[in-house]
Amino acid sequence: MSDLALSPRKPAAPLNGYRIVQSISVFIIALVVISPLFMLFIASLKDDRFQILADMGSFRAFWVDNPTLNNFREVGNFAGELAFGRYLGNSLLILFSTVSLGLIINSMAGFILAWGSLPGRALILSLIIALYVIPQESIIMPLLIIVSRAGLSDTFTAQILPFVASPLYTFLFYQFFAQLPKELYEAASIDGASIFRTWWSIFMPLSLPALATVSILMGIEAWNQYLWPILITQTDYARPISVAIATFFGQDSIFWDRAMAASVLMMIPILVFYLAFQRWFISSFVGSAVKG
Amino acid sequence: MSTLTILPKRRRRSIIARVGWPRFLQEIGMLAPAVVLMTVFLITPFLLSFWTAMTNQPLVPRPTPVRFVGLNNFLRILSDDLFWTSLWNVTRFTLWVLPVQCGLAFLTALILNQKLPFRNLFRGMFFLPAITSMVVVCVIWGTLFQYPTGPLNQILASLSGGYIQPIDWLGDPNWAMFSIVLLSAWQAYGFQMIIYLAGMQGIPDELYDAARIDGAGRWGRFWHVTMPGLRPTHVFVLVITTIQAFKLYTQVAILTQGGPKSSTETVVHYMVRAGFEEQKLGYASAVSVILFLIVLVIALIQRRLMRRFDV
Repeated sequence: MSDLALSPRKPAAPLNGYRIVQSISVFIIALVVISPLFMLFIASLKDDRFQILADMGSFRAFWVDNPTLNNFREVGNFAGELAFGRYLGNSLLILFSTVSLGLIINSMAGFILAWGSLPGRALILSLIIALYVIPQESIIMPLLIIVSRAGLSDTFTAQILPFVASPLYTFLFYQFFAQLPKELYEAASIDGASIFRTWWSIFMPLSLPALATVSILMGIEAWNQYLWPILITQTDYARPISVAIATFFGQDSIFWDRAMAASVLMMIPILVFYLAFQRWFISSFVGSAVKG
Repeated sequence: MSTLTILPKRRRRSIIARVGWPRFLQEIGMLAPAVVLMTVFLITPFLLSFWTAMTNQPLVPRPTPVRFVGLNNFLRILSDDLFWTSLWNVTRFTLWVLPVQCGLAFLTALILNQKLPFRNLFRGMFFLPAITSMVVVCVIWGTLFQYPTGPLNQILASLSGGYIQPIDWLGDPNWAMFSIVLLSAWQAYGFQMIIYLAGMQGIPDELYDAARIDGAGRWGRFWHVTMPGLRPTHVFVLVITTIQAFKLYTQVAILTQGGPKSSTETVVHYMVRAGFEEQKLGYASAVSVILFLIVLVIALIQRRLMRRFDV
């Protein structure tokens, strides 16, 4: 800062060794991180599955002469062997149901834990924090018994309902609501708003960062579920796209062109979802989780 | 209920007397869905897993009744070489993935935390692999790993002038787990990057200014301000990465099915195979109890360390 006072002109960013190293490393990281994704996108536009593999080791991996949507036409059906249109729809249904139910249910619970007057809230809160330790993988076998005994195997419900209420997200909402000023809550009480109204009309509109964070985390989780759907779905009826893409690997020779197109289909919705919420997400993410 | 308010001896008035029935019912109604769902889908299966682990419960109900077998399942697991192999494999995986994934995340966060043109664009971009489904990641890296003429082998060959022989990334028992490490780190480092960024932004600017006044250079500021300030973040990142690593499953199930020669067999894959393919749900539940205990121990270690750093 003191340089500014001494020299009249504002110094441009000096091109020293440090800056060069910095720029080069950003470039290398970007290359490592982005080029595989870019390659996937380019390859999905190529028609010839042998050419795809042959191109991949060279710069041709990043270039397509005659882009075609044939692969997408082939896999995008709603019925038949390559009904990825249907699987995509299934996944979208699961994504939106899980996230919207999850936002409401977890934020209501977090709100009551933060501002309610029920006795035993502290106990419930510490129980919820303790539950966070249980990994989904370690309860999946008994969960399979419960869900199939309830007659829910091969349904959407079985892929939505178990993942709606989550200790982590209830806790994130609790933490977010608890740090909002007391005056908000008091003002609403004085105006005679019910606790439900206070949550819905006063606190929820102020919770965009928390809502975005939970949406993205839940969305990624719901979209990428793999182990649970292979256990619980037996037919095309409710099968999500992740399981459908994995079946490419069961074949003798993998049809990379179709697999790539299906993968791009799978990436687009979650990408849009991410871009829609990203602005609030990164700034509010885990500042809270680190403390918790 | 209103009689309660009249009783003078009562030290705390009941909730209903304080807030009234409508409010009480509303609060119950708002808390109940989460509590009920967590009870049904989290607490019950969790408790059930301890019970199932001590029975010979099959996946498909059989006419013969389910028998209580005590700790038999655990004893059989602990005497199964394949289980120990899978435990060793996830340990190996963890030891490799920690430095690769957290190192990449830390470096990236360090760079993104400075003045840089298009910083937000890069930040959004570097998170993209983290939103990519593991299945898609397997499609991408499945092509990259092709043997013998896949892209990675071609790049290595041209960089080394043909000196490096093609590697059978997923087919060679010596390389398979390392290949899984590469794609896993690539996919997941974005989360750790963001946690590091949040940690770095939590370090007050005054500390940097003070260090500058004391004559600390870039390196000195990094070593004496950034690193100590990030201690809780380091613990947090290491622990969540370790827990995540012990749950390794999807990429192995898709790309190698635990092979070649069990070199990528993992605890969760072992559990799913026992429960689903061999239909021994009781046995699989016992594996899941062991997995839970491992995760619990890691989480407890985290609490200890966090407390030490916070005070």
